[in-house]
Amino acid sequence: MTRSSRLNPAWLLVAPLLLLVLVMFGGPLVNILWLSLTDPEPGLGNYAALIEKDSLRKLIWTTLRVCLITTVLSVILGYSIAYAMANVAEATRHRMMLFILISFWISVLVRTFSWIMLLGRNGLLNNGLIEAGLISQPIPFVRNEVGVLIGMVHYMIPYAVLPILAAMQGIDRRVLQASRNLGARPAQTFWRVYLPLTKPGIIAGALLVFILSLGFYVTPAILGGGKVLMVAEYISVQILVTLKWGTAAMLAVVMLASVLALLYILSRFMKLSAALGGGRT
Amino acid sequence: MQDKQFMRETVTEAAHAFRAGRLDRRSFLALCGMAGVALPSVLAGKAEAAAGEIVMWNWGGQSEECHGSAIGVPFTAETGMPLKFDTSGPLQGKIKEMVDSGNVTADVCDADLFDAVALGATGHLEPIDYAVVSKDKTLPQYALEFGTSIILYGYAFMYDTEAYPDGAPANWADFFDLEKFPGQRSLYKWANGSLEAALMADGVAKDALYPLDLDRALAKITAIKDSTIYWGSGSEAHDMLVNGEVSMGMVWQNRGRNIEQETNGRYKMVMDGAIAMPGAYIVPKGNPGGREAVMKFIAVSQSVDAQLGLFSCLGMTPTNPEAVAMISAEDAPYAITSEANMAVIALNDPTWWGQNTDAAVNAFLEAIS
Repeated sequence: MTRSSRLNPAWLLVAPLLLLVLVMFGGPLVNILWLSLTDPEPGLGNYAALIEKDSLRKLIWTTLRVCLITTVLSVILGYSIAYAMANVAEATRHRMMLFILISFWISVLVRTFSWIMLLGRNGLLNNGLIEAGLISQPIPFVRNEVGVLIGMVHYMIPYAVLPILAAMQGIDRRVLQASRNLGARPAQTFWRVYLPLTKPGIIAGALLVFILSLGFYVTPAILGGGKVLMVAEYISVQILVTLKWGTAAMLAVVMLASVLALLYILSRFMKLSAALGGGRT
Repeated sequence: MQDKQFMRETVTEAAHAFRAGRLDRRSFLALCGMAGVALPSVLAGKAEAAAGEIVMWNWGGQSEECHGSAIGVPFTAETGMPLKFDTSGPLQGKIKEMVDSGNVTADVCDADLFDAVALGATGHLEPIDYAVVSKDKTLPQYALEFGTSIILYGYAFMYDTEAYPDGAPANWADFFDLEKFPGQRSLYKWANGSLEAALMADGVAKDALYPLDLDRALAKITAIKDSTIYWGSGSEAHDMLVNGEVSMGMVWQNRGRNIEQETNGRYKMVMDGAIAMPGAYIVPKGNPGGREAVMKFIAVSQSVDAQLGLFSCLGMTPTNPEAVAMISAEDAPYAITSEANMAVIALNDPTWWGQNTDAAVNAFLEAIS
């Protein structure tokens, strides 16, 4: 009785759910790990291939490059949008939020095909530019890495805006006034006071965008025109078409481990709970 | 896993007996209970129905309707068994997973003949019973131990007639010739068909393609890579053409006629060097409806009426020579194995692909990415 009285009773309420997650999620996860070590033959062969095979190294590099660029662009654009939202009248902010959320809710397939309609060789933009006499040959905006980046950044901006906006709204405006009062120029106030105060939001947004980008499948597959191969699509092909389940499982494990490692490293530098919207300290 | 298999067989047997009236309902339910079949699933008719229906695992869309009218209707008329559908697409990995998990819910998969070679070798399929299914109603080389070809689809290319007013491309060599025929191209991104096309463009004879020379094919493909985009589905291939993204594109041959009609002849299909792909019906090991019923189903799908029905509904060419002979002169150019086409097309080798898909697909992906 004394033991259970020390335990927060709330745990009892979530215990069944935790158990369910453990069994339904943890079980298959262990299975994947096992598969990566045993298929096609026991050992670390699948992991060694990661270093030995040029194709896998290229795959990882493409994925990292696309995800990093997506993260940087999404955070910069998201920061500008959030900054505007934090500094307009409330009614305008609500209207802006509505637009952010609408784009948040549109299916990724619809967006992807819309980009092709807009930016394709025969799309609205290229046709417009040709009609206007500005270009003679269509510009390849999509079906290449640029297309993938456009599609992914567009998808990811709301994920960057929301945590950054939350951080900005939490800033005490008087701190900025104090900075001006002490003689700082507007730019100085921004770089030395405002930006550092929004850092938790930036890190949370960047983390969210990067982790979500790692698993992107539909957008690179379609907007990349088959030439931008990222880990998620490769895993799917190895499972469904080539039946290299060991390779697929290895890549899944590597991806999961990198995400966890990323979270761990960040947790050394800052309180993750604060970045991810948990308890304020 | 063995126990599970045994229990399922017990229940399936019991379900057969229950349907035939040899077993009363109470005993049947008791048996299900002992075998661990949850009551809800029995109430939902799962185990019960397993013995009395055929579930076809196909690709959805139009094919559900077409398989239903062309094969389902005559099959039900003949056997009293309904045909049901799972439209999630029987890719090799999914079939393997289904059989490995011991929870087989499909009786017959609308798959490729190379899947029959790959999955048959690993013990994931039921062998075809050629006492019920006829070897004479398909192409001789396409009646294999673990699958028989019912229809042929294929890969061909189409071009934009407005892009090439001074002379149309006539074969794969023209397709790969960017100097003579400038413009964007599209190819299938999972290697199949694209490799054969590249080899024919490089001068390999259509009946000397296999075993595929991967390096030679990939060299040809990477040479035009900067002007090529790659599609993963038939509708994507269709869109790339009619949206003007490419001026020449590979398509699924059976969809070519639709594209020609839809665009009033602006896009034209080239049959020279088209690659005929044997679409096959394959049976996952331990299928719920039993081997006997599913073999009967495959036999019905070989009938002339069923095959002609699929041809007019999906554009896929019959394998039954009797059905091919009945295709009208107007439709013949679109039947990939019509007499005239046979002289110019290549036939896919399912055995090579069944044994080499992993190497070919991964080498292709590496080359294009």
